[in-house]
Amino acid sequence: MLSYILRRIASTLPVMAIVALFVFSLLYIAPGDPAVVIAGDQASPEDVERIRQSLGLDRPFLIQFGSWVWRILHGDLGTSIFTNLPVSTMIGQRLGPTLSLMMVTLLLTIVVAVPLGVLAAWKAGSLIDRAIMAFAVFGFSLPVFVVGYVLAYVFALELEWLPVQGYTPLAQGFWPWLQNLILPAIALGCVYIALIARITRATMLEVLQQDYIRTARAKGLGQGGILFVHALKNAAVPIVTVIGIGIALLIGGAVVTESVFAIPGLGRLTIDAILRRDYPVIQGIVLLFSFVYVLVNLMIDVTYTLVDPRIRY
Amino acid sequence: MSEMLLEIDDLHVSFSTRRGLVEAVRGVTLAVEAGEMLGLVGESGSGKSVTGFATTRLLDSAGRVTRGRILFRGQDVTKLRGDDLRQLQGAAMSMIFQNPRAALNPIRAIGLQIADAILTHKRISKDAARAEARELLRAVQIRDPETRMNAYPHELSGGMCQRVMIAIAISCNPALLIADEPTTGLDVTTQKVVMDLLAEIAAARGMATILITHDLGLAARYCRGIAVMERGRIVEEASPRTLFGAPQHAYTRRLVAASPTATSQIEDLVTEEERERHAAVVSRPRQELAHGTPPLLEVRKLAKRFDEGAAAVADFSMTMAGGESVGLVGESGSGKSTTSRMICRLIDPSEGEIVFDGQSIGHVASRDFHRSRFRKDIQMVFQDPNESLNPRFTAFDCIAHPLMRLDGMRGGDALRKRVEDCADRVGLPLDLLPRFPHQLSGGQKARVGIARAIACRPRLLVLDEPTAALDVSVQAVVLQLLDRLRRENDIALLFVSHDLNVVRMLCDRTIVLRNGGIVEQGESRALFDNPKTDYTRKLVEAIPHIETGPVLAAAL
Repeated sequence: MLSYILRRIASTLPVMAIVALFVFSLLYIAPGDPAVVIAGDQASPEDVERIRQSLGLDRPFLIQFGSWVWRILHGDLGTSIFTNLPVSTMIGQRLGPTLSLMMVTLLLTIVVAVPLGVLAAWKAGSLIDRAIMAFAVFGFSLPVFVVGYVLAYVFALELEWLPVQGYTPLAQGFWPWLQNLILPAIALGCVYIALIARITRATMLEVLQQDYIRTARAKGLGQGGILFVHALKNAAVPIVTVIGIGIALLIGGAVVTESVFAIPGLGRLTIDAILRRDYPVIQGIVLLFSFVYVLVNLMIDVTYTLVDPRIRY
Repeated sequence: MSEMLLEIDDLHVSFSTRRGLVEAVRGVTLAVEAGEMLGLVGESGSGKSVTGFATTRLLDSAGRVTRGRILFRGQDVTKLRGDDLRQLQGAAMSMIFQNPRAALNPIRAIGLQIADAILTHKRISKDAARAEARELLRAVQIRDPETRMNAYPHELSGGMCQRVMIAIAISCNPALLIADEPTTGLDVTTQKVVMDLLAEIAAARGMATILITHDLGLAARYCRGIAVMERGRIVEEASPRTLFGAPQHAYTRRLVAASPTATSQIEDLVTEEERERHAAVVSRPRQELAHGTPPLLEVRKLAKRFDEGAAAVADFSMTMAGGESVGLVGESGSGKSTTSRMICRLIDPSEGEIVFDGQSIGHVASRDFHRSRFRKDIQMVFQDPNESLNPRFTAFDCIAHPLMRLDGMRGGDALRKRVEDCADRVGLPLDLLPRFPHQLSGGQKARVGIARAIACRPRLLVLDEPTAALDVSVQAVVLQLLDRLRRENDIALLFVSHDLNVVRMLCDRTIVLRNGGIVEQGESRALFDNPKTDYTRKLVEAIPHIETGPVLAAAL
């Protein structure tokens, strides 16, 4: 098992290298001279030259890439052009809110979507099933910002149950922290809940057709035991896969959600950096997200072996 | 009447399908005494399994009991709900199924699966349940039960999985066990071990058993009473001796005739009246080959190793003359399918030579063999006609495809005529040609598979368990067809099967394989009448024959 994990980590190295190359090339893929792009519309030729010098843009591409990778390997993500702060510091400041939002959303999604999917599969064809699936289509089709504004209007402005926007660090208490995250998590989780509920239902329907479920019934097991002990665990591999893919969705969704609810997280930082053409910051964030995604995939593969004894590496 | 454990009275079961209600069981009346083993035999679609599922209340949601009642200890099972029902299921009444590996939860250790059943019905601690599970594994003769407790189904053989199923079924000492085709798909030797075990346990615990099977020989060997079902009704019920000695109903007569025995010939497989109806099927004697004719197929020192594992086949040599039929038998894992696939050139041998018609073909990579001029000379018929036909191809497409690929036919009238000719030769009615596989019966699909294989007029036909998925009456017709094709067209047959009765009838010579090597070979009849090795003797003795009578019933 350990050797498998080590091998998997080793095999992610080339993937990360290719990702790094892409991230670094961002600057060059954008049309025009990178120095001019960074300097912006109102820069004088001297400003452009100064940026070119300071970023080493006058050197050959491969050397620039090499020294960039070298610095990253030493933990140096570069310095923001706009704030002159180290990129790693800026990301560190914004990590908390985004991680909090993603964790709460993930938890909410799993707690809501999986039971809904199981219920729909169990009662397949019934009114409950159709209601759940109708909700799923609904959740799929609504954009995050629409759900976000509606939730904020109803629960924050009208009912005044929850704060409209903002973020409170966990250090200032659990409830204040959670209070600020409930609405964003629901808004962000909607699509995700719909997706996972559908996948859970489809996989469960297939599993419930299997011979071993009939065996479980023949043993006299109760409905709960059949659904959760025998069926759900067998349906777990596709569900876990989709949860993993969904984390990519969450990253994208977090950018929008943080803007709607004014949460000072990585999403906001990303948007700000893009608007300011702060390339070192953009590169740092994209690299971080890619790394998280590769890590999540590794975790999913390891989960398979825990769930299904037939999968051995 | 009151001593009866189970009384089924005028049972009707319907399934709602897209095409409306289908009546699967239409008026079954049956009684089982405590401790009795009753055989319920019939072909697929006869309603025997549905009767079993209705009794244990495990019908699909589409199925419903529409009339009649099922009294178990005087209580109507069809009316039970909720907790009352669950107290019955797995406790007083339990069931084991066909395909034991699929019937066990693949990701749950078998010890837990047995303990599940115990914990559902007994108020004991988890440790106590585990201890009981271990005892049950010992009772079903699984060696080293302590370590096996933690094994998963995929780590066990099919026979072991069925023993685990038996352990689950008997865990709460049921009064009635329904075994639905418990040994179908297992080797003959494993079948014997599992059935002997089941019979022993039933006798020791005084448990009544309903053995649902399509195999008359199996029912005859283990049951004192046999009920024959056809199209949802019981047509005859008697002791094996009466049933096979003097079958009363026309269907029973046909079924008994179609079941191969240790002495039956291919011609015997239909009843007298049917033989007269098909008088046209007169077998021509095969011409003797001139002396010194070179063999059609010569295989020398063939071996196959998968990855780094042990050899699946090693040092396999054989020859076949044109028009000869050779049987390849052995238990699962003996390498018979691997060998046949190498000869078909579907997989590449690791070592050795395959010479066909004087040309070495073993070195041609299997993925390039479709371009070889010998591709159309060597064709195959696969095991399961349900799985081996493309569901999106009509019967016509299926047969036409090899003609276009290998014979360069372009379509039009010439192709249509060839396809119709093939269908004619295998006895497939021409009006079935536009149909898709799901619109055909098992026997019709088998005919399509054979028509496809003989379309390009091959000289060697490799058949991998071609009748294993078929009912005995369909098997009888398919075997007669194969035998006729061989005589009429001089096609050599390499017949891979675990059914020794069938091989003995169809094949001139038989090769017995074990663990990838040849154990014994020779002229079929002589080999089976006088096996020289213990292994072959064990194989032969394990076949249930309908003449042998109920061994266990007689002993009781």
